[in-house]
Amino acid sequence: MGSAVTSHFIGKIFTEWGYYVFNYRDYPSLIRGGHNFNILKISDKPVYSHELKYDFILALDQKTIDTHKKDLNKGGLVFEAKAGEPKILANNVLIGLLFKHFGVDLSILFVAAEKTFGKNADMVKKSIQEGYQLGSEKEKFKKLSPKCFISGTEGMGIGAIAAGLDIYLAYPMTPATPLLHFLAKRQIENNILVFQPENEIAVINAALGASFTGAKAMIGTSGGGFALMTEAFSLAGMAELPLVVYSCQRGAPSTGLATHTAQGDLKFAINAGHGEFPRIVLTPGDAQEAIIRTQEAFYLAGKYRIPVILLSDKHLAESDYTFNQIKKSTLSANRFILENPPEDYKSYKITVNGVSPAAVPGQGPIVRANSYEHDEYGYTIEDAATTVKMQDKRFKKSAYLKKEINKLNPVSVYGKGSNLLVSHGSTKGAILDALPQLKNFRFLQISYLEPFPAEAVAKEIKKSRKVILVENSATGALADVIKEKTGIEIKNKILKYDGRPFTPDLLIYEIHSNLRGFRKSTHS
Amino acid sequence: MKPEDLKTAQINTWCPGCPNFGILNSAKEAIAELVNEGKLSAKDTALAAGIGCHGKIFDYLNLNGFNGLHGRVLPVCFGTKLGNPNLTVIGFGGDGDTFDEGVSHFIHACRYNMDITMMVHINQVFALTTGQANAITEKGFIDGSTPLGQGEKPINSVLLALEMGATFVARGYALQAPHLKEIMKKAILHKGFSYIDILQPCIIYHKHSVPYLSKNAYKLDETHDISNFGQAIEKAREWDYSYEKDAKVPIGVFYQTERPTFESQWPQLKQPWHTIDRKPNWDNITREFK
Repeated sequence: MGSAVTSHFIGKIFTEWGYYVFNYRDYPSLIRGGHNFNILKISDKPVYSHELKYDFILALDQKTIDTHKKDLNKGGLVFEAKAGEPKILANNVLIGLLFKHFGVDLSILFVAAEKTFGKNADMVKKSIQEGYQLGSEKEKFKKLSPKCFISGTEGMGIGAIAAGLDIYLAYPMTPATPLLHFLAKRQIENNILVFQPENEIAVINAALGASFTGAKAMIGTSGGGFALMTEAFSLAGMAELPLVVYSCQRGAPSTGLATHTAQGDLKFAINAGHGEFPRIVLTPGDAQEAIIRTQEAFYLAGKYRIPVILLSDKHLAESDYTFNQIKKSTLSANRFILENPPEDYKSYKITVNGVSPAAVPGQGPIVRANSYEHDEYGYTIEDAATTVKMQDKRFKKSAYLKKEINKLNPVSVYGKGSNLLVSHGSTKGAILDALPQLKNFRFLQISYLEPFPAEAVAKEIKKSRKVILVENSATGALADVIKEKTGIEIKNKILKYDGRPFTPDLLIYEIHSNLRGFRKSTHS
Repeated sequence: MKPEDLKTAQINTWCPGCPNFGILNSAKEAIAELVNEGKLSAKDTALAAGIGCHGKIFDYLNLNGFNGLHGRVLPVCFGTKLGNPNLTVIGFGGDGDTFDEGVSHFIHACRYNMDITMMVHINQVFALTTGQANAITEKGFIDGSTPLGQGEKPINSVLLALEMGATFVARGYALQAPHLKEIMKKAILHKGFSYIDILQPCIIYHKHSVPYLSKNAYKLDETHDISNFGQAIEKAREWDYSYEKDAKVPIGVFYQTERPTFESQWPQLKQPWHTIDRKPNWDNITREFK
């Protein structure tokens, strides 16, 4: 087993033992070999990020030691595999050594091994025991109340199932693929259907076909795949078909960095698709938010008959987070489909809020979806008056949507202070962990990027002295979005675009340098 | 049901005399007859159409329908059937739509063998954009985008369907509507992916195909064994969609076979999803994370 499985296993034992663990995964785009590592942060207090300084290094090869030993804290330990030992077992020997160090009972490790490895557990247990006997107890970790250990991907998956997902379609693309695997594995027990069509264009068009029949459909991809889908994303806007799009960002442009993180697709998500139509863009900040926001995505897509983008990234998708318990949204898993549609049903009936009550084929009345501009029945039109009427109808939804998302915490503010950090998505973890060490800083997390909660954002910015934008991108797209929506310009930006996520240490360093050379925001 | 019951009040904007009218009438008659024979439920039928002259059929048939994007008729059909396996799903595509923009979907639809019917209007031009050559246009054809003449041989769409594994492959001629109607009925009733190549000569941009097809088209008779793949291939090769010299143009059912359908292999595909009243059990779905 590799670094990913080993670190997840270690994290799982610590969380069951009652500790908070954050597990960061770093791997190259290849299948066997390369330098593949995980960083675990383990604490008795909540943690949401990793650090680049270590107390322990568990090394399976010399390269790990060569690469990381410089970052070992004073007094830190290196546990290394014995030369010649098969790696598959060496991992487990290191696990034994580590847990012996912390005084965790061997029986706990055995139970965890049986749970995780099933029929292969005996071999794993044997090598864990070997390491355990080689090690020495240096600390005695107390058992605390067990915690939940969950990745962003898993959060999206259980959020989708809890929201009543019927069909998930995706073409493989890192780092969105883990959700495809997660749902595919659980499809029978949850009575959902997971299928991989021939390409991304088929994925989204088929999902819209399914949505037309009343199925709750979700699709998954990364930026490049979503680029291929954008024509049909616009179709979802025109045909007013509910659709949830999971778009998991990675380094870009183009093929970019397949297995590394970025937030460079924000403006792409907000603007994807030709023409003008309402959509929702959501950026969850951790695995718990992934659950809640995915449920909201399905709810809003169904209720307003619009496409919703769940914008994630590699860092959120492939990191494991710890929570005391995991919660779900209280929103219903309603299908928003008429039970008895009228004989003279209009697929695009003009209503007060612009939402046409949905019927589906097979109920009796004729149901139509049309990519051309159309009348209320869905027949193709090209006259000027109907064109305006129907475009207005679709945009009527926006005002109602804004009201609705105001009830769903579109922004969150953490900490106290007159200065403000502004960000979205997976940067939340490093910012939250840095915040207690920053003097006089609040953190404004924006979770709904479209429709944009302009009033709430403007209010927070206006009452702050210094405002700094934090984003895993080269240009700080969120600052442009804020300027467009509120007129406020944020000039101070801490940007990171090397494919690696922020860590609290780096953020603190950058914020301090930024403060020294602080430029006033134009609003103040 | 009468064929007129499938009529809509929309003004038909095909050119006067367009063979598409033959396709529309055959479709209405085929569907009405199947309904009257108790073999089809109109309310449980859904059509999908692409973009091009053919796509206007969406507005002229009073059935559930999805007028999607250019080239994407088959993924929409696929998704519609995934979403509700009880529906009879019929796709209408253009030849540019299906064999240029959407050719990858066609190949995979033949592989998947989902129980859908795909009817492609073969007019050998992009007519609605004023007559550019497409993947089925003959070598040498001259148009606005190709003034030096189309350089390549066309795709033989019937041969492609056969080679890619379609389980029902036929060719109809829009100007022989009663014969086309019979093919449509067989295709709709076939369990699996049915492909009908419908010759629909464009009377504006591809005029020369009308006299050619009227002279050379002939109906496959009982001497043709539709279960014989080799014979089907032979028949498909009789005409290569070109006009240099006279060749026999067979119309009728080339091939029909049985293979498990896509949906029969998924235990989840038993009922329309919208009829499932889901009550997700939070404790069950989160147990593994605790």
